[in-house]
Amino acid sequence: MAGKEVAAVEIVDLVKEYPSSFRRKMYRAVDEVSLRIEQGEVYGLIGPNGSGKSTTMKALLGLVAPTSGLCKVFGCDSMKVDARQHVGFLPENPYFYKHQTAEETLKFYGRLCGMRGKQLAMRIDALIELVSLQDARKRRLGGYSKGMLQRVGLAQAMIQEPQLLVLDEPTAGVDPVGSRQIRNLIFQLKEQGVTVFLCSHLLEQVQEVCDTVGIIFNGKMVQQGSLSELTSVDSHTEILVEDMDEATLAKVREVIEQGGGELLASGAPRRSLENLFIEIANQCGEEAR
Amino acid sequence: MSKIGFISATRISVIAGHTFTQLVRMKVFYFLVVFAVIVLASQFVDMSTLGAVKAVEQNLRVMKGAGFFAMNMFSVILALSATALLLPKDIEDRTLYTILCKPVPRLDYLIGKLLGVVALVTVGLLVMDGLFCLILNIRVEAMVAEQADLLTRMGRSAEVIESHAAAIREQGVTWSLQAGVIAVLLKAIVVASIALLVSTFSTSTIFTIIITVVVVLIGLIQAEARDYFLQQQSLGMSSPMLEMTRWISLLFPDFKLLGIEDGVINGERVSWSLLGRVSLAGVLYAAIYTVLSWFVFRRKEL
Repeated sequence: MAGKEVAAVEIVDLVKEYPSSFRRKMYRAVDEVSLRIEQGEVYGLIGPNGSGKSTTMKALLGLVAPTSGLCKVFGCDSMKVDARQHVGFLPENPYFYKHQTAEETLKFYGRLCGMRGKQLAMRIDALIELVSLQDARKRRLGGYSKGMLQRVGLAQAMIQEPQLLVLDEPTAGVDPVGSRQIRNLIFQLKEQGVTVFLCSHLLEQVQEVCDTVGIIFNGKMVQQGSLSELTSVDSHTEILVEDMDEATLAKVREVIEQGGGELLASGAPRRSLENLFIEIANQCGEEAR
Repeated sequence: MSKIGFISATRISVIAGHTFTQLVRMKVFYFLVVFAVIVLASQFVDMSTLGAVKAVEQNLRVMKGAGFFAMNMFSVILALSATALLLPKDIEDRTLYTILCKPVPRLDYLIGKLLGVVALVTVGLLVMDGLFCLILNIRVEAMVAEQADLLTRMGRSAEVIESHAAAIREQGVTWSLQAGVIAVLLKAIVVASIALLVSTFSTSTIFTIIITVVVVLIGLIQAEARDYFLQQQSLGMSSPMLEMTRWISLLFPDFKLLGIEDGVINGERVSWSLLGRVSLAGVLYAAIYTVLSWFVFRRKEL
C-alpha cells in the first residue's frame, strides 16, 4: 500500500478526445481536467449528462486511455493493471450475469481479486448482510429489481476491501431507505479511511456525504473545493433558535436592524421530504415487527 | 503496491469456468438430441446392393460420414456462436467494466473466455463421441455376427470368417477414429479463436458471425484453389491468382491441414506423427489468432 503522502487519486490535465462519425473532427469529452483526492477523502463530481463525468471515471479505471495528461491511483499509472488492486468500482445501472446468484457473483469477483476459501466465504457473508440481501442470496440475478442489482454492484465493488471506491450514481434506482443505507455506508467507509470518489445527480446527497466537490461542465472543471468553501454565502449569518416567542423575535429583529443588518427570513425550519419518508418507513417497520 | 503478473493461470481458470457455466446455463447442450437423431438415422442406411462385405463397409462409411459431419457441424456452430456472443454481450451489458476494473489483465480475460468455449466444445464432443462410438460399435458387432453366420452357412473356413470380421472391425471404433474426433475439436478451437479476434473489433454478434464464416470458408477452399492454380502454372498458364492464394495462406487458416476425417471415414490409420503435426498446426493457429486478438483488445476503448 502506498504511503500516506501519496494522493489516492491524482488527475493532471486530463484530455480525452473521441473521433466523430467521419473522423474528420475530434470530439473533446474531457478538457484538461485536474483533480486530487487525498486518502480517506470523499470527493463528489457533479455535472449534467454528457459533461464528462463518466469518461473521467473510465480514464481513472484504465477503461479508456487519456489523449493527454495523466491519471494516477495511489501513485500508479491508471492504465496499469496494478493500479486496480485497491480499487472497487460500481458502474451506473450495473448489469451482472443473470445466470448467477448474488453469492456466485461475489465469489466470481472475489476470485478474480485472488481471494479464496474461508476468507472469501466470510467476506461474502459480511457483504451480503451489509447490503441486506440475505433472503435473496441464492436467487438468480435475472429476477432482481434495479435497486437489488445496485446493492449487488456495491457489494462486488467492495469485495477485496478496496482503499478507493469509485461510485457512479450509487443510488440510481434505489428506494429512499436503500439510498439512506448507501449514504450511511459511505460515512462508515470514510471512518475506516476508505477514499470515495462518487458521481451523482442528487446534489443533496453529494452535499451530505462529500468533503470536496468538483463541478464539471462540457468536459471542463469549472469549480472545485471543499464543500464549506463552495456552499457558504459569506454575507449571510444563520441562527437556529429553539422555543422562542414572538416578542423575543421582535427584539432580535430590532437588534439586528440597529446593527445595520436585515433579518431576511424567520419561521419554522422544514424537514426534507426524504427525512419524513424515512421516519414513516422506520415507524411502519417497527409496527410490523 | 504489489505487481500483478502478466498472465495468471488462476484468473484464467476463474474466467474460463465462469464462461463454461454461463454457456451451459444457456441450455446449449440441447443440440445433442439432434446429434443423437442424426447418428441413429444413419444406422438405417442400407447399401446391400453393393454385395456382402463391400456393402457392410460402405454402410459403416456412411454412418461414420454422417457422424463426423454432425460432429463437425455442431462443434463449429457451437464454437462460433458462443465466442461471437460473449465479448459483445459483456460490452453491451457493461459486465466487462466490472471485470476489467478488478486486477485482471485483458489477455487473461480473452484467454479465459476462449478456454471456456473450448471446454464447452470439448464436453459436447466427448458426449457426441461417446454416443457415436456406442452406436457404431453395436452396429459393427451386429454386422460381424451377421456376416459370420452367412459365411458359416456358405461353408467358409474359420480363418476366412475371422479375416472378414477383422475387415469389418477396421471400419468400426478405432484409435484412428478418435484421432479424427481430435481433429474436429482442433478445427472448432481455430474457429473460436478467429471469432474471438473478429469480436474484438466488431460492433455486433451478427457481424462477427458473418466475417468468421467468410474466413472459415476461405480457409476451407484455399488449398484447392492453390492446387488448381499450380496445376494451371504447370501447364504454362500463369495467373496472378496463384500469388494471391499464397498471400491468402499467410492471412487465413488452411483447414485442409487439420482435415484427417476423410481418411478415418475410409478406414485409414492415423499415425501418431500425423496427429502430432495436425495438433501442432491447430494449436499454432489458435495461438496466433489469440495473440492478434490481444493486440486489438489491449487498447480498446470501452
